[in-house]
Amino acid sequence: MFVIKGVSASPGVAIGPAVLLPTADFAVTNQHVEAAEVKAEIAKFNRALEKTLADLDESEKKLRQTLGGEYASLMSMHKMILQDPMLKDAAISKIKNERMSAQAAIFHTLQELAASFDKIEDKFFKERRNDIFDVGKRMVGNLQGDKGQFWDSIRRPSVLIARDLFPSDTMNLQENQIIGFCTDLGGKTSHTAILAQSLKLPAVVGLSNAARQVKDGDTVIVDGENGLLIISPDKYTLARYKKTQREIKKAESLLQTINHLPTVTADGRSFKLMVNFDPRTDTKENKKLITDGLGLLRTEFLYMNIPQPPTELEQYQIYLATAKKFDMRPVTIRLADLGADKLPDFPLDEFDKDNNPFMGCRGIRLFLKNPELMHIQLRAIVRTACEVPAQIKVMIPMVSSVEEVRHVRAALNEVLAEFEKQGKKPVNRIALGAMIEVPAAAIALDGMIGEMDFLSIGTNDLIQYLIAVDRVNPDVAHMYDPCHPAVVRTIRQIIQTAHQRGRQVSICGEIASDVRMVPMLLGLEVDTLSVPPRMFLRIKNRIRNLNFEACSDTAQAALLASSSEEIRKLIETQSQDEDS
Amino acid sequence: MITQEIKITNRLGLHARPAAMVAQTAANFDCDIKIAKDRVEINAKSIMGVMMLAAEYGSTLRLSFNGKDEKEACSAITRLFTDNFNEEY
Repeated sequence: MFVIKGVSASPGVAIGPAVLLPTADFAVTNQHVEAAEVKAEIAKFNRALEKTLADLDESEKKLRQTLGGEYASLMSMHKMILQDPMLKDAAISKIKNERMSAQAAIFHTLQELAASFDKIEDKFFKERRNDIFDVGKRMVGNLQGDKGQFWDSIRRPSVLIARDLFPSDTMNLQENQIIGFCTDLGGKTSHTAILAQSLKLPAVVGLSNAARQVKDGDTVIVDGENGLLIISPDKYTLARYKKTQREIKKAESLLQTINHLPTVTADGRSFKLMVNFDPRTDTKENKKLITDGLGLLRTEFLYMNIPQPPTELEQYQIYLATAKKFDMRPVTIRLADLGADKLPDFPLDEFDKDNNPFMGCRGIRLFLKNPELMHIQLRAIVRTACEVPAQIKVMIPMVSSVEEVRHVRAALNEVLAEFEKQGKKPVNRIALGAMIEVPAAAIALDGMIGEMDFLSIGTNDLIQYLIAVDRVNPDVAHMYDPCHPAVVRTIRQIIQTAHQRGRQVSICGEIASDVRMVPMLLGLEVDTLSVPPRMFLRIKNRIRNLNFEACSDTAQAALLASSSEEIRKLIETQSQDEDS
Repeated sequence: MITQEIKITNRLGLHARPAAMVAQTAANFDCDIKIAKDRVEINAKSIMGVMMLAAEYGSTLRLSFNGKDEKEACSAITRLFTDNFNEEY
């Protein structure tokens, strides 16, 4: 038995034989053709081109229905690349003049093209290199039929192990017997993760070298709950996971029955439970959830994969469609937290200078240096607020001083004045609040809170900054610890300060959807938890089965604890008490 | 043959969307259309070629049109640039 730790991308447990996706490199089987075969080879090339175009058409249609416009437009980009004379003419000339096979011609043409793209300094252009190879893979696959053969060869429910998944692979996941997957690359918010969640497949990503350690046919367990890949599990482990699998299945069906019930603890203390909504993965099931509102709309995705910032109209259309789904409930829109690990493709000077991006120009800092970007986003938000009954809340990311909040307040007032000149006013007053994720803001909150209508704790970054740990650095990532006494005490301090001034606090980081941490957060008297839709019913169920008084005791004891170990034990003890 | 010099005036330069617009528009004409920047010359009907120019704001391109519909092609392509590819920035 062998266990590899990765990042959980989609929950659930899958058990089955492993199949390894052939690597992204091309397997060009025959290199040359005889002079007499050149004509036939060119015809073969053209047929493969037609077939690939038809495949892309098909994928574009399907993706538009399942995953939405963003993935679909990637396919139309791929179609243009495929029809590009630079690819077509160069490949045909290689068949004609150098008597290469169609496969070899495509391979060499793509390599030349990729090499020219590698020379470009600009990140956006460089990334297009992957698109070119994805198109090439499809086409070579159509020439030799091996990729098709790969998918066809899967005859029983299997776990897919891959270095990385390309958009062209995604359709096959749905159509073949894939019950879960693992990739070496990718993070929690990569397109692979988003895809896994929307397909409801258990998935673990970021395993670094799993693809080399698993053999075809090995029995593997994908533990999407804890981000583990278990290779050749022993009898005991296998039995334990089969039990977990049954429990998850049972729990899932049970969960549907509590959707319409209020979010109250067993002893009657009520909390608000909202969702971190992502318009890109709005599935049918998510639509059925009865929530207290939208706790966090991340807007960075609007700025990604496009060569220029989104216009007011583009943003407004998405905010409007989103806000309408929540009718009269609150809709919290976070101003784009660009920078650090979320770098858009369009150039901004600030990104070039950042040697230490998490400490650098990100979130509100970037917006204050590029007031036009903020102005456009605020206009799109205000425009939405003028048309919907939902209470629109604007959340500022990465706040570290009261001046930053005042700047945004002034910018918002300016936008409101612009709309008022045209006779337009928001249906409800727009609330302005901050995401508390910089320790300075947590510590000096009492001086800043007068400027805020509400606040939300961004635990992911707060923990990272409090413990001074870069989660991406494998040497220190294990030190990232939500149970650190400093984390618990800081959350407590934020909530106390806010409550003294009559402000509500929500928590929207990963910690809020961790069933083990929920009792602690309730005990610290948070008002609202905001969780991803897929975790919504699970967390609701957890809250309904908790005893607030016991949570309070756990929290009080945790505030006095001197180590993470102690806090973890406290949490476990409470869980055991409740299970018994 | 018509040649035309043109300056990139949209703030973000010849990125993917404008590149796609150039290639798509060029494909509508029969004549040969070439775009050159510094020492690189590419076929305007190729999206990859146009992207490879990586033409940023302020850079100057040399466009050349050669064929029977060269006049129409020239005015259509030039218009894309002068309209800043319908970008707001």
